Amino acid sequence: MFKEIFLFEIKYRLGRPATWAYFGILVIFGLFVSIGGNGPASEKVFVNSPVAIATMLSTISIFGIMLSSAIMGVPVYRDIEHKTENYYFSYPVSEKGYLLGRFFGSMSVLFLVSLGLHIGLIIGFAIGPFAGYEEAERFTVFNLWHYIQPTLTLYWTNFFFAGCIFFALVSLTKKVMLAYAGGAILFIVYLVTVTLTQDIENKDLVSLLDPFGFGTYNNIIQYWTPEEQNTQTVPFSGMLVWNRIIWVGLGLVAVLYTLFRFDFQRFLSKNYTSKKKNDNLDSPNTSAALTKIPSVSKVFSGSLNIKLLFRLAVMEFKNIIRDNFFKAILIAAVLFLFFDAWFGFPTYGTPSLPMTYYMLEVKDFTYIILIFILIVFMTGEVMHRERNVNYDQIFGSLPIPNRVVYGSKFLALVMVSFILVNMILVSGVLNQILKGYFNFEFDKYFTDLYLIEFPRYIIFIMLAFFVHSLVTKKFMGHVIAIAIWVLLFGLSSLGDVNNNLYLYSYAPGYTVSDMNGFGHFGKAIFWFRTYWLACGGVLTVIGYLFWKRGTDTGRKARWQLVKERLNLKTIGTMAILLLIFIGSGAFINYNTKTLNNYRSVEAGTIGAANYEKALGKYDKIAQPKVVDVKINADLIPEERSATIKAKYLVVNKTDEVIDSLHLNWGAEGLLKKEVKSFTIDGKAPKLGKRFDDYGYEIYAFDTPLKPKDTIALTLEVSASYKGFPNEGSGSTIVYNGTFLNNNFFPSFGYSSVGELTSDQDRKKYDLPIKDYQLPEQTDPWGTSNLLFNDDADYITFEGTVSTAPNQIAIMPGYLQKEWEENGRKYFTYKMKGELDFFYNISSAEYAVHREVWTGKNGDKVNIEIFHHLTHTYNVDRFVKSIKHSLDYFSENFGAYQYQQIRILEFPRYQGFAQSFPNTVPFSESFAWVGDFSDPNDVDYLYFVTSHEVAHQWWGHQITPSATRGANQISESMAEYAALMVMKKEYGVDAMQRFLKDELDRYLRGRANESKFEKTLLDNDNQTYVWYNKGGLILYGLQDLIGEANLNSGFKAYTKAAAFRPEAPFTTTIEWYDHMKSVTPDSLKYYLEDSFEKITLYSNKVTNASYKKLADDNYEVTIHVESAKNYFDGNGKLLKEGSKPNLLEIGIFDNDIQNEQGMTIKSPILLKRIWVKPGKSTYTFTTDKLPIRAGIDPYNKMIDRIPDDNLVGLEEASE
Amino acid sequence: MDLEIKNLSKTYSNGVQALKDVTLSIPQGMFGLLGPNGAGKSSLMRTLATLQQADSGSATMGDLDLLNDKAKVREILGYLPQEFGVYPKVSSYNMLHHIASLKGVSSKGERKDLVESLLTKTNLWHVRNKSLGTYSGGMKQRFGIAQALIGDPKLIIVDEPTAGLDPAERVRFHNLLSEIGEQTIVILSTHIVEDISNLCNNMAIICLGEVVAKGNPAVLTEAVKGRIWKKAIEKKDLEKYQDEMQVISTHLKAGQTVIHVLSDTQPDASFEASPSNLEDVYFAEITSRMETISA
Repeated sequence: MFKEIFLFEIKYRLGRPATWAYFGILVIFGLFVSIGGNGPASEKVFVNSPVAIATMLSTISIFGIMLSSAIMGVPVYRDIEHKTENYYFSYPVSEKGYLLGRFFGSMSVLFLVSLGLHIGLIIGFAIGPFAGYEEAERFTVFNLWHYIQPTLTLYWTNFFFAGCIFFALVSLTKKVMLAYAGGAILFIVYLVTVTLTQDIENKDLVSLLDPFGFGTYNNIIQYWTPEEQNTQTVPFSGMLVWNRIIWVGLGLVAVLYTLFRFDFQRFLSKNYTSKKKNDNLDSPNTSAALTKIPSVSKVFSGSLNIKLLFRLAVMEFKNIIRDNFFKAILIAAVLFLFFDAWFGFPTYGTPSLPMTYYMLEVKDFTYIILIFILIVFMTGEVMHRERNVNYDQIFGSLPIPNRVVYGSKFLALVMVSFILVNMILVSGVLNQILKGYFNFEFDKYFTDLYLIEFPRYIIFIMLAFFVHSLVTKKFMGHVIAIAIWVLLFGLSSLGDVNNNLYLYSYAPGYTVSDMNGFGHFGKAIFWFRTYWLACGGVLTVIGYLFWKRGTDTGRKARWQLVKERLNLKTIGTMAILLLIFIGSGAFINYNTKTLNNYRSVEAGTIGAANYEKALGKYDKIAQPKVVDVKINADLIPEERSATIKAKYLVVNKTDEVIDSLHLNWGAEGLLKKEVKSFTIDGKAPKLGKRFDDYGYEIYAFDTPLKPKDTIALTLEVSASYKGFPNEGSGSTIVYNGTFLNNNFFPSFGYSSVGELTSDQDRKKYDLPIKDYQLPEQTDPWGTSNLLFNDDADYITFEGTVSTAPNQIAIMPGYLQKEWEENGRKYFTYKMKGELDFFYNISSAEYAVHREVWTGKNGDKVNIEIFHHLTHTYNVDRFVKSIKHSLDYFSENFGAYQYQQIRILEFPRYQGFAQSFPNTVPFSESFAWVGDFSDPNDVDYLYFVTSHEVAHQWWGHQITPSATRGANQISESMAEYAALMVMKKEYGVDAMQRFLKDELDRYLRGRANESKFEKTLLDNDNQTYVWYNKGGLILYGLQDLIGEANLNSGFKAYTKAAAFRPEAPFTTTIEWYDHMKSVTPDSLKYYLEDSFEKITLYSNKVTNASYKKLADDNYEVTIHVESAKNYFDGNGKLLKEGSKPNLLEIGIFDNDIQNEQGMTIKSPILLKRIWVKPGKSTYTFTTDKLPIRAGIDPYNKMIDRIPDDNLVGLEEASE
Repeated sequence: MDLEIKNLSKTYSNGVQALKDVTLSIPQGMFGLLGPNGAGKSSLMRTLATLQQADSGSATMGDLDLLNDKAKVREILGYLPQEFGVYPKVSSYNMLHHIASLKGVSSKGERKDLVESLLTKTNLWHVRNKSLGTYSGGMKQRFGIAQALIGDPKLIIVDEPTAGLDPAERVRFHNLLSEIGEQTIVILSTHIVEDISNLCNNMAIICLGEVVAKGNPAVLTEAVKGRIWKKAIEKKDLEKYQDEMQVISTHLKAGQTVIHVLSDTQPDASFEASPSNLEDVYFAEITSRMETISA
């Protein structure tokens, strides 16, 4: 019995075109990913490495929910759908045989179909090396096991789980709808687990709860280096096994339950319960014969048509919103919207306040995908409404004009989209209320949702209408419409096609800001929306021409219809729309291409390569250096323009005679600059040569500049924006929140900043591979220039800036004068002392919060916080962090060099904080709107502020030379300094989670390295090394050799290197020497391991227990394993360490809370012990009940599995 | 105002020629279309009901071009397709109201009167507030009839309307149709011969897309009068008779097979003359053609 049903099922399925369609889609997808190298592998990882294959398989298996529901939802439902259940069940078939046959038959088909991906990948990876889309060397040899292993552990198990659930749901409820709704629920569970992963403390829980094991899998491979990704399959052990057991088990339980629950009679019985008794009063009625049908008057008029249009639209609208599928997807979509907004905007795991712009931005997370699907499906429903219930023939013959019917359906969808945009409002406001935020900015909601988002949905509807009109098969229509969208997405995100003019419905991105509102984005959005609405309009009219009314599906008949419908009205409408489409397209093209020089991604890469080829010869040529800067800036934020005059005094600090000045403006950007005047020594210089493409000019000096000669330059430049670009906002001069820096003016000579860095790109364009951006520590050019700017050493600065009357403009230095003139506000600033050549000019409508810090010696520093008027939430935290930082740094590193420190807020078009001399700009979305109410969330505001203040020492006092490793002197030191301020504030026992965060980021960074990992002494571009490894290692060092001891070394270093008046400037050699000088010989191994090499520990507790002793003491026994391994930059193991290391071993009570309410560790015993590699056992006696014990319990060492360092203790059984 | 159909042809995209050069003149009153399954009745009706394009030919009613002026046709049309569905969650009362408004009955009062009388007329009054999804096959069919009658249609096309009706309902429906048929053109398709002879003044027999006979049913019957012979035979002999003479139909009567034969003279003494009826006309026209095809 089972066998026949099983085989019939397979045969039936293999005969269905849909089965092959699914299979084909997977094959094509596999080919696309593999041939084009579009998979998840970073540059040093083979595109078909075992990890890349496993990642692809597990990712696709999540999207495979759709496939599972399509294949596993229908085998039982089929008998209902085709009304075969009535006789099929009368055959001598047992329920179990029937169910199991259908189940295993379909499951086999699902597995077979799913193999399409493997076939696509295997073929694609075989062709790939010859196809030329990806370098041949990025493909490794074929290994079947690399496919089989993840298929068994991840891919098929996911299909199995999802398939079981869908099979059970539909078999038990008879509702095929549930297959879809169930899919949505699975997605939501998935979303929640993904969101929880952001908080790394919950990793184990996430590993278990993720129904697709994707999080589990990622937790395993997240720290794998390219070398490991290339050689190892993901071990099927630990959490992954448990995860699979849980979810496969759940699937099995569901199927077993179905098996015992299912019986034919129940399955056949129709649900009459909801209906009243069937009044079968079909009795003849004598009145029938006598009734006369009254004659009626009929009106067919334009006004009636309009009335009908709305009446039909409302009816259709009601039909849609009553649809269960619609409801299910909408509920899922809104849940996504809500949860995305609820969890969506953490920074360092700390939530943000529910600002309106956050509530609005979630619409583009998951919601938009579901909305698009909903629009496509609902359009299909609407277009097939009459045909679905077989009412089309009656309806088709009714005297309603085509345009009314078609128009009413369109209008109904428009009404639905209006509901959909309002869901964003509802979810946003609800989120805000629940989070206790009552500053509802309905103007922002309305502008964004009604004026910007609503038209976009209409553009989607138009595409869906077009497709569903041309394609009369509903399912086919869905597939084609969604395929078009996937294609657009693929083109833009994988295919590097980013011209919004060619991607239906696309438009430049925009950012809503509290400071600058909708800013300057309106124009671009208006034109793009007009353009696509017109295009959509043309599509809709074409759809109208082809729209099927009646029963004829023949091609000939439909063309006949088109001819019939092509009349003056339709042609006229189409012509007008086409005109708008082409006209607005031309206008957009003029703006993006002619005015703003739009370039494709590839053209940009070629441009960068050509730049280096053409101008590389000018690298490191001798140029004069700026010593004094005087600025006269007139900002006109109202018009987004500025005219700035700079007077530079420049000196030839080299030993050569310099005969020409090289001005490097860079290629033309969005901000158009016009030179009003340019003089050298009071005279207009003669242009020698100009490279137009790169904005590079060479001017010959009238008299060549001899060593030590000084000369004055003046440059007056006015700048403004023109039109709108294809993407990117041009956000340096805006209505409120202008943020300019010294890059406004040209730099001197060639700059390597614009060069291609990727090995692959450089090879492709015949450039030598460049391992390092900066020269060695001993290089004479390197040591005679400063890291951040080689156009100057230290400078003096003063200037005057004017701006809009309601704004405050800020430049480096102390405010000398402030006045109003000609309706403009003027500010004069002058810096006392020197600063490195790195200044900003900012202007915005600010509120200012002022405080004073007084040092131990009575020295005072003015603290000024320039913030957006409503962003008062965290101002006090900034002040607190600044004060604590000044306390710690002035005591441990040396005096602060200025009498003021300022924090400025700038709009959220960029999301960083940066340290200029005496000024720290913080982006609007960073820290100002953080929600720090939970003391256990990381107070990144405090930390980052401290980091930026530390740069006043490490960067601005000690400005390192332009040599390898120099970034560590500014960034690692600032990170270390901030960690120390944290330690002082929160206590040493609170540090573990900050250290673990640093560790996590470092390990992640090195896993995604696209070149090779560098050491702390020579790293010149890897942020994960200079921030995260640097911070961690220096924290570990102070822990090992003593905080005061290490700081004494740094103080000596500051004294030696701060404001060094002339070359050679400081390098990592000098920095390292100061550390060596304070480190005892016994611990020098730590310096070598950490600074000169890449060293990873693997410490863990294998077993720990305690025993209660007679005298109320406890004896704790800890078994540990320790290893220390050395790796090369690619992550390949070089050597295992054999010497013992000084590590911390600790026994802990339950966690407690510190003063701030933060959960911290409570050590009973902490000992530093020389632990030899391999296994060791330690025994301690404590006088308190021990709870946990561990080795390196604070995660000070770099260890890839930090979670097994600390374990709970069990009482040893005698 | 007669409906004139001239040289109407239609071939579907799968190659089936549904209509071959159909020419018919349909006067006021009931017009019956008779033909086996797949003869092209529905194709013809759908074409007249604006739901389908014709390849060539014309259909006019006075000045009205039925094939091209679809909007005007729909204003005077009442159509009941052979198979149709309904919105399962709407009541017949509301649905008829809605359709009446779509058919241009814009006065609320008139619409109400119309719908109520139609519900009474089709014997759906007592279930008018039930949703259509709960209707039995017969009730649904009656609803279909009611909707076709909305708005004083001048051209009523009903495709096998009595399928699924019980005998009493069928009679009532016939009465209703003939009542209406006094002022309008009613085209009725069926394969129940008796319906046509009872109801229609004019008819056509369609087979394989062609009109094979047309005219008044009585006149058509007259043409075969005296040429129909019947005989009770053994079942096993049927093939022999079919080879030898034009057997137009076989019936079972009290367990015996009775054949009807078309012949100008009495085939042999064992045959007896049979009173001719429309059914014999139908079979006489159909059998010969269907055999040619199958031979």
